[in-house]
Amino acid sequence: MRDAAFWILALILLAGALVVVSARSLVRAAFGLTAALTATAGLYLLLTAPLLAAVQILLYTGGVLTLVVFAIVVVGGEATGGKFRKPFPAAVAAVAVFATLARVIPSLPAGAPRGGLDAGAAIGASLFFRDYVLPFELLSVLLLSAVLGALLLARKDRPE
Amino acid sequence: MTFALLVLGGPLAAFAAIALLPPLRRSGWPAAYLTVAGSVVSLGSAFALALPFLRGTGVPVSFETVWAPLAGAGTLRFGLLVDGLSASMAALVALVALLVQVYSLAYMDGESRPALGRYFAYHALFAFAMQGLVLAHNLLQTYVFWELVGLGSYLLIGFYWEKPEAGRAALKAFWTTRLGDTGFALGLLVLWGAAGTFTFTELFAGAASGAIALPAVALGLAGIYLGAMGKSAQAPFHVWLPDAMEGPTPVSALIHAATMVAAGVYLMIRVSPLLSHAPALGTAILVIGVVTSLLAGTLALVERDLKRVLAYSTVSQLGMMMAAVGCGAPEAAYFHLLTHAFFKALLFLAAGSILHAISTGDLFSMGRLARPMPVTAGCFAVGALALAGVAPTAGFFSKDEVLSAVLLAGHPVAFTLLVVNAGITAFYIGRAFFLAMGGARAAAGHPHESPALMTVPLIALAAGSVFGGLLGPVVPRLLAASISPMAGEAAHAPLPVAVVGSIAALAGLSIAWMGYQRRSFDPGRVLAAAGPLATLLAHRYFIDDLFLFAYRRLYLGGSAVIGWLDRYVLDGLVNALAWWTWQLGGRLRSLQSGRAQDALYALAAGVVLLAWLALSR
Amino acid sequence: MSLASVLLVAFAVFAIGLYGVLARRHAIAVLLSIELMFNAVNLTIVALSWSRGLLSGVVLVLFAIAITVAEIAVGLSLVLLAARRAKTVVLDELSELRG
Repeated sequence: MRDAAFWILALILLAGALVVVSARSLVRAAFGLTAALTATAGLYLLLTAPLLAAVQILLYTGGVLTLVVFAIVVVGGEATGGKFRKPFPAAVAAVAVFATLARVIPSLPAGAPRGGLDAGAAIGASLFFRDYVLPFELLSVLLLSAVLGALLLARKDRPE
Repeated sequence: MTFALLVLGGPLAAFAAIALLPPLRRSGWPAAYLTVAGSVVSLGSAFALALPFLRGTGVPVSFETVWAPLAGAGTLRFGLLVDGLSASMAALVALVALLVQVYSLAYMDGESRPALGRYFAYHALFAFAMQGLVLAHNLLQTYVFWELVGLGSYLLIGFYWEKPEAGRAALKAFWTTRLGDTGFALGLLVLWGAAGTFTFTELFAGAASGAIALPAVALGLAGIYLGAMGKSAQAPFHVWLPDAMEGPTPVSALIHAATMVAAGVYLMIRVSPLLSHAPALGTAILVIGVVTSLLAGTLALVERDLKRVLAYSTVSQLGMMMAAVGCGAPEAAYFHLLTHAFFKALLFLAAGSILHAISTGDLFSMGRLARPMPVTAGCFAVGALALAGVAPTAGFFSKDEVLSAVLLAGHPVAFTLLVVNAGITAFYIGRAFFLAMGGARAAAGHPHESPALMTVPLIALAAGSVFGGLLGPVVPRLLAASISPMAGEAAHAPLPVAVVGSIAALAGLSIAWMGYQRRSFDPGRVLAAAGPLATLLAHRYFIDDLFLFAYRRLYLGGSAVIGWLDRYVLDGLVNALAWWTWQLGGRLRSLQSGRAQDALYALAAGVVLLAWLALSR
Repeated sequence: MSLASVLLVAFAVFAIGLYGVLARRHAIAVLLSIELMFNAVNLTIVALSWSRGLLSGVVLVLFAIAITVAEIAVGLSLVLLAARRAKTVVLDELSELRG
């Protein structure tokens, strides 16, 4: 049962990824990404991390993609006429990287996965507010600076 | 010691003063008087040095100081050598230099003041250099002053620098002697390598004791002889002397009669003890000397310009001196050197007197100059007789000593040729005399006798040409009291030689008289009848053309080849490397496209590589 | 479903994302491909921590997602800026830092 779900989700994920990189229309690419991100969220669920799944959908699919769509609307998605840079070297590079990464697979430790990533409260209590408080706080600074940066960069030029 | 330094110091001081004080030079006459004063000091000191040797009581002395110690390879020294040979030569040089400078005070009076200053500065420089050469105590020092003398000659020949011929003549003199000097330098290297010293005394001792390898001695001597060939105008290096007549006549008298050209002979006399170890070289010197003698003698026959006749005559007489050296008779050579200095300088100054009076040196424009210029004519006659070797002039004694030396050394062919040359010599100088002083037509212009400043030196030299024969017995004494002592006994000319020599001289003079004074036959037609010989003479045996060919085709051709190699091979290599670097840079530059995605390729490749390396450990 | 299979899928998505970054010309398309790569990395981390039972992996991914959001915001502003100033969003044409 779980395996079937896994493979379906994996398939959607891969299909969405392929759409992102090969769609001529940017909007289509954006929707491909939506599918991929959502499938990933499903995979997080299968990997016993419901909190992550929720965050993924909220932030990624909900936030990031909305932004992207807005950006596409403003900038225009047809500028390139759908042409690609040299696809063959890119494919070669992709395959090479995949092969390199795949080499680690045989050396993975054997044994059943332990799971247990769904202790949501534990995440909050012991981790965010104890061991990783500092990065948590710094994260807010980061987000603030990102907001400011984005505003600054994108504002209209004022006549001086 | 002081006298030796004064001999050098007089002219040097004069030169330094004139050279370092431009106002002195520009004022002309003060510079002239200063140079003459320097020459007087030099002459006085030289006589003081020479007197003991003339009396037979002199002892060779040398003063030396270390110039440059070479670590582990010997020492270079600087020193002065005063012996019979050098003291007498120094006295001769100083005497002739003084007479010529006094003569120049009148001869050069038409020059501008700065030019006059320049002229006398060069004279002082030359005198200093020549004395330095004479008094040198080692070969390296001789070479240094040798070159300096060459510089002085260049400067003086090219004195009238506005005339392109003068500049060319000066360069020709410099180049030709330089060619010989290269041999001199190589000879020096060989000797240093074999002997480790340049000092004359040490070289003689080393050669005699066998410490120096004989082949090295011969080779080194050959190199030195090459230098002497250049300076003393031995064939084929004689080509510069006739052209050197572009310089002022007093210069010709001093340099190209009495002193500089004699330097080569003097040097060979100086190193004659070494010559006994290289008999083959001696024979070569004899042969070249005889050839030079005849070659120049024949060329003097057909010259129109009086100074050029005298120039070729000098070459011819130098050939005779070298022949004597080659026969191992340096006393005969030195005797002839001394007498020749007197009568040749006399002849040149007489020619200058004529030139000064009628502004041309062309023999066929002269005539009947005896009446308006009696003193000049008389002195010219004396000089001519001395050159022809008619008794009892000095030239008679010295010429016959040379002839007997050659005969006694066992070279009958050379002897005969030199006798023939004596006849030719008498003929051409007779021709010159009769054309200038006698003849039917008078010379153009208003010939007049020259002022006293010019005639007094003439008379002095004439006296020397007449009474110089008295030096005959003195010369062996001088040479005995030198570090180059001669083994041979004083070779007195056996009577038959004297007779033969006199017959040749008188024959030559008579034929000249008949041809040019009495007009019994037309020498011009005789020459034309000689056909190919006449052509040879007219083109100066094509030697000048040979040099030109060698220079243009061989030397310049070689330079062109090397130039091509340099431009296309060496430079080509460098340029090719530069071009490849440039190309490589251009290719590499295209990697920086400015596009982020291209850089990512590199990143991906690097990551893959590193990961593989890490994973395969 | 095993660790190996999850990882393989993640790696595949990573590679596909890399292809997109290298091959696409529109700036926003490149940004989308970068998102894919991020996503694949997050999946890898989660899979590995699932296999070991470590919670800190999840925390790391949470942080990563937050940072990604910030990055995308700034990135899109840059794209807007490029579109306005340089009048192009084709990355190939934005190549003034060339050699």
